[in-house]
Amino acid sequence: MSAPTTDIPTIRFVRPIPGFPELRDFALVRLDDDGVLCELRSLDGDTHFLVAPPQVFVEGYAPQVAEDAIAALELDAADDAVVLGVVTVGKSLAASTINLAAPIVVNVRSRLAAQVLADDADSDAVRTPLAPLATV
Amino acid sequence: MLVLSRRVGEQLIIGDEVTVTVLEVKGDVVRIGIEAPRSVPVNRAELLVELQDSNRDAASPAPDQVDSLRAALRREP
Repeated sequence: MSAPTTDIPTIRFVRPIPGFPELRDFALVRLDDDGVLCELRSLDGDTHFLVAPPQVFVEGYAPQVAEDAIAALELDAADDAVVLGVVTVGKSLAASTINLAAPIVVNVRSRLAAQVLADDADSDAVRTPLAPLATV
Repeated sequence: MLVLSRRVGEQLIIGDEVTVTVLEVKGDVVRIGIEAPRSVPVNRAELLVELQDSNRDAASPAPDQVDSLRAALRREP
């Protein structure tokens, strides 16, 4: 995966983000020049999410994505997949978390996306503290 | 809610395409096998609830908090 945060004008969620059944279309906007933090902006309202490629924080991060999700995203090649973790921004870095249990997987070719609960997900990983990862 | 008793090895068929098999019962843990079409996501309920809660907490962070996180991450090596 050479460019984890390739600029993608708009992406469509093949399944809604859990908790947000009404939102389907988003723009992915890079916030930093180095491309670590991105914003996923809903095209249907003001809702937005801060996302970041988990590989930046966790070396070798490779969630087990179920076949049904791979099929729904029309993913034929692993290189077409960009994986993003949803960041919950706290009052400080210490209070901020990233969701490693359910990454957002984007097919950069078809521009289809889904938030996928990894098969091997642990419920604690939904809110993985960012601080220890950032200092590694 | 439909309530059924099943033994190990017995199955339930839901609709035309979903089959649930009781694989093992050990103490208070039941191992279940599920065969479903690719289009049917199967998730552990408590994990899905946790995911919804987490997504709602993550949604639309305040710009100043995003800025301070960006600054904090930039300071890290």
